[in-house]
Amino acid sequence: MIRLSPARRAMIQRITFPLLVLLSAVMIVLGKADQVVLESLKNSVMDAAAPALDMLSRPSGLVDTAVGRARDFLTVYQENARLAEENERLLGWQQAALKLASENAQLRDLLRVAPEPATSYVTARVIANSGGTYARSVIVNAGRENGVVRGEAAVTGEGLVGRVSEVGSRAARILLITDLNSRVPVIAEGSRQRAVLAGDNSEHPSLRYLEVGAAIRIGDRIVTSGQGGVFPPGLPVGVVAVFNGELARVELFVELSRVDYLRLVDYGLADALPSPLPLAPRGGKRVEQSAGSSSVRR
Amino acid sequence: MAILLPVATTVLAMLLSIQAIPIPGYAPVTPAFTLMAAYHWTIYRPDLLPSLALFIIGTIQDLLSGGLTGVTALLLLLARAIVSGNRQHFVNRPFPFVWAGFTLLTGGAMLFLWTLHSLLAAELLDFRGTVFRAVLTISVFPVASFLLGRTQRALMSEG
Repeated sequence: MIRLSPARRAMIQRITFPLLVLLSAVMIVLGKADQVVLESLKNSVMDAAAPALDMLSRPSGLVDTAVGRARDFLTVYQENARLAEENERLLGWQQAALKLASENAQLRDLLRVAPEPATSYVTARVIANSGGTYARSVIVNAGRENGVVRGEAAVTGEGLVGRVSEVGSRAARILLITDLNSRVPVIAEGSRQRAVLAGDNSEHPSLRYLEVGAAIRIGDRIVTSGQGGVFPPGLPVGVVAVFNGELARVELFVELSRVDYLRLVDYGLADALPSPLPLAPRGGKRVEQSAGSSSVRR
Repeated sequence: MAILLPVATTVLAMLLSIQAIPIPGYAPVTPAFTLMAAYHWTIYRPDLLPSLALFIIGTIQDLLSGGLTGVTALLLLLARAIVSGNRQHFVNRPFPFVWAGFTLLTGGAMLFLWTLHSLLAAELLDFRGTVFRAVLTISVFPVASFLLGRTQRALMSEG
């Protein structure tokens, strides 16, 4: 360690502090302006921290599993009865679905409908959560090496969670649909009323740009409309929980704070999202990666 | 190795801040662990947690949390400056003094964060999350302070 005289040390400290404050302020402004410099820096830091985050996130996952197991053990009989009843009901639905699927296939054949692009997905574990009050995102332990592409939809079995906003080589950030910056074109299933699901950092995002006198009701299912081309149509999002004539809020199907594993689905639509880089090569690489993968990649 | 303790615990606090903990509604009100570590070490060993270290740790936290980059770095730097200017009120004083100081600091810090984010988003953001986070941060501080103090006494001869 270099020994400095107290006077010199004090002088260095006097200079360092305002310099660092200035640098922080510059970063805030740069970040706000969405600069490319910070994007790549973010990805590198995310990649570097991924192993540590992965390791640290395991114990909390284990505790959660243990608590879940204990709870399951206590309610096993009621749960069994409920599942038996649900199974009976679902078998009926299965028959209906099979019938509709074959009918659908026949009709598509008759009408010569262009086939939907094949989807592929990567399953990834959530390793970090944005600890801020002012942003909603998570980091998952899969990145470019695993075939994750920016713009992919992040879903669970229940519904839409968000989209891939940044991709490092072995980790990716998912911007949740509750984030202040998230905007998803949606449609109410019953009334076919279109709107934009706008996050505001609260648990219940709002529906914006509803028509005046919109005919939506509490309990209406909200799904993606597919407009804008980032998400495919029909991904379940939530149900209308509050509607007072002007403001509508949506109760999401997915409980975002409890998500452990996410499926990052490539619907072949990732190109719809404007790239943060004004350079072409990135887009070219992406096509190369997603082409040819039509089934489960991991 | 003990001289690395302040930086190491602050890094740990930073990692803890961005941990995915499966408690409903936890993420938005995650206590400001990094602020606790910064406060503790600025009082007891400011020489071992210089501005530069806080700047780097704060920046990494911002880059990882997905928030606005530079905000936490700026917050920690300002907190350090304010606390080191008032160190004499807290060193070798009973814990309630230290806690009261932290309460004031957290109140100011949360108000600062809310104002900054509201300005940058050009709208008044929900204030409740900020209040809950401040309350949680202040309530968790005694535990953090105890753990940091114990580690400090165990691993460092002086201070």
